[in-house]
Order: sequence, then C-alpha cells, then structure tokens
Amino acid sequence: MAAVNGQLGALLRLYFVQGAWNYERMLGVGMGHAADPLLAELARTDPERHRAAVVRSAEFFNSHPYLAGVALGASVRAEYDGVSGDQITRLRRALCSPLGSLGDQVFWAGLVPAAVGATAAAVALTNAWWPVLLLLVVFNAVRAYTGVWALRTGLGNGMKVGAAINASSLGRLAAPAAVAAGFMVGMGGALAVGWLADPFGWRAVVGVAGVAAAGLAVNRLAGPRYAAPRFALVALVATFLFRWVTG
Amino acid sequence: MEHPGSLVLLLVWGTIVGLDLVSGPQALLSRPLVAGTVAGAIAGDPAAGLRVGLLLELFALDVLPVGATRYPDYGPGTVAAAALVAANGDWTTTLGLAAGVAVIAGLIGDWSLVRLRHQIARSIQRRSDLLARGDRDTIRRLQYASIGRDAIRSLGLTALALAIARMVDAALIPDPLTGQLLTIVAIGAGAAAALGGAIRSAGRGRRLGWLAAGAVAGSTLAWLR
Repeated sequence: MAAVNGQLGALLRLYFVQGAWNYERMLGVGMGHAADPLLAELARTDPERHRAAVVRSAEFFNSHPYLAGVALGASVRAEYDGVSGDQITRLRRALCSPLGSLGDQVFWAGLVPAAVGATAAAVALTNAWWPVLLLLVVFNAVRAYTGVWALRTGLGNGMKVGAAINASSLGRLAAPAAVAAGFMVGMGGALAVGWLADPFGWRAVVGVAGVAAAGLAVNRLAGPRYAAPRFALVALVATFLFRWVTG
Repeated sequence: MEHPGSLVLLLVWGTIVGLDLVSGPQALLSRPLVAGTVAGAIAGDPAAGLRVGLLLELFALDVLPVGATRYPDYGPGTVAAAALVAANGDWTTTLGLAAGVAVIAGLIGDWSLVRLRHQIARSIQRRSDLLARGDRDTIRRLQYASIGRDAIRSLGLTALALAIARMVDAALIPDPLTGQLLTIVAIGAGAAAALGGAIRSAGRGRRLGWLAAGAVAGSTLAWLR
C-alpha cells in the first residue's frame, strides 16, 4: 500500500474542516478542501478519476470535527485503490453517525468538560492563571495526536476503516471520560462558585444558592434551550430595577 | 475605557475567539476561561479577566455543541466583559454587569451564527454547477470566503460587545451595593447554568453520582480554603 503524499497539508486543513459549515452539506466543503493535497497524485495519474473524486470529496458529510480525518483518509485511500464511486459515497455516509457520536461522547461530553472543570478547580485553588495555559497545552496536544491518528487510521485502512475504529481504544474512552467530566464539572463548578463568592461573606453564599435554585427550577420548567442565559438576564434586570426603585 | 492599542488587540483577540468556536482551529480558545484571561491581560488586569472567564465558563458549561444545535457564542462577549471589569478596578461591583453584557453578546452571537450558516449554504447553492464538475478552485474559494465571513462576524460581534460594555461603563455603573448584588445574582445564575447542563449531560446513570461526588468534594475544598 503506497504512502499518500500531502498528509501535513491535509492535517492543517482539517483544523478548519468546519470553515464552511452550513445546514446543507455541513462539513462537505471543508472535507473537499482538506482532501485536495491528498488527491494531488491522482490528478497526475488519472485526471478523470481525480475530477470525480473531487466532486465526491465535497459532498454532504457530517461528523465530529476532530475525527473527520478518519473518513477523509479512508475515502482518499479508497480513491487510490480504485473502489467504485458509489461504494466510496456509501462509506462516507456510513461513517457520519459513528464518528459524530463517538467524538461527541469522548470530546464534547467527556474530555472538554473534564479538562475545563479541572482547570476551573485549579484556578480557584491557586488563584493563578497558569492552569489556563496548561489546559491549552495539554488539550491541544491530545487534539493534535487525535488528528494525526484519525488521518493515518483512515489512510491505512480504506474501506476496512470500520473494523479499525472498533479495534481502537477510542470507543473505550467514552465511559471513563464521562465519569471524569461528571466529577470534574461538579468539583470545578463548586470551587469556582466558592472562589467568586468568597469576598462577599456567608450571606452571599446563601444568596447565590437561592438564585441557583431558582435558575435550576426555571431550567426544569422552561426547558434547557436558552433558559440559563435568559434567566440570568431577567434576574440581573430585576435586581437592578429593584435597587433603582428602592434605592 | 481602553487604550487604542489595547482596543485593537481586544478586537483581534475577539475575532480569533469567535472563529475558534466553529470555523477553527477549535483549540479551546473560545472557552470563556481562556478568552477572558487573555482579554484581561490585554486590558491590563489578568486577575479580573480570570474572574470574568471563570464566571462565564459556568454559563458555557451549560452548552453541549453537538451537531447542528444552536448555542450562545460567549467568547467575544467575554472579551468585552473582561475589558469592562479591568477598566473599573473593583471586580466585586462590576462582574455582574459585565456578565450581563457577555450574555447579551452571546445570544446575538448565536443569531449571527445561524445567519452565517444560511449565507454559506446560499453561496454553495450558487456554485453547485461548478462543484458538480469537480472544480477545485471553487471549493478553495468557498472555504476561504466562508472563514472570511466568520471572521467579519466575529469582529463585528466583538466590536458590538465592546460598544455595549462602553455604554454600560458610561451610564450604568451602579452604587457599590447594587453592583455587588448584581455580581451575586450573576454567580447564582452561572451556578444554575453549570449545574443544569451537568445534570442534563449526566442523565440518570453513573455519571450523576460522580457529579454529586465532585460537587461535595469541591464544596468541601472551598469551605476548607
């Protein structure tokens, strides 16, 4: 299996795979843009096939952005292997849900809140900004590794990429990441609230708890969509008006 | 409020933060904790930025950016909020108002993101013939133009948030007691947002237990400090 050139260019472009995100093709145009350096060799050897591959590369696609490289690599490998266009299109579509679901569970609902919660806790405990820098360095190292792994897994496995995803440790990360997120958000949130309310004394803590309880009740009754920011605005305006009238 | 040089840097930073949310590189730069800390440093008070960032981060923890869901864009507003608090010295009296500015900007940011996505879709539709012919230049142009549009959106949102912050600074800075009350209300609302989002994400499984354990551990540590 020959190595595919243009991997560094594709990796860099994958960082902006959502650059043209829209409700029709979703990540499609971004995928087409990232595929371009990988397909350069095909343009030289088989221009007709290359043109068809470019069309397919920019069609509808959706997944978690950090894992889009898996589908990109697999479909490019399939193009070089001479797999039929219909099969490649089916492969891309079939990868949307698992890559989206896996990435959402591992990153958006797992590692990101866990890392942010841990950072919030560290900021509150140390009263310093270095945990924020540490968050950026560590998380982006993980993100860069994931990007390289995703593209190489796709390029190395082509049409058999589904089995490679199943065999990887990524799926097994979802459960511990969820546990870490739960614990860290709980701890980081409590410490952050304590740190912010500390200068106001114990009466402020009671006030914060009261507002939080009211906010949670509104969240449960009104549904989650914008309940939190809207509740915050209403509570702030009501407090301001109350003080204006009584002051 | 800000030195002209700082204002330019805040606008640049707000643009980067706005781009990071969706277009890229999605490197956590748009998280309020990061956006606020850097903005505070630019405005000359990193500690104020850290406080603003941490408070707005509680609101952002309510958001799960899955698929095509809509959510507030808190980053550029956090930049303006950090500048507002940094300009006034005493964070205890301005943090609540600043949080209000950031939340308003966040909701406008959500609306602007939806507009942007429709605009990009229309742009792609107009070039569907070229895309169907496999024209690489069209793909490249669409990609760069879309990122450019998001940069303009992010810059505009940051400028708007800074303008709102400046108006608040000029006309709405209240007496210290009212300012502190607003800050306490904002902290409570942030706590409700973080907890509401965490409970929703946890569902009824094992994660809910870990969330409770974390909250108890955090509360104990906060009390011991």
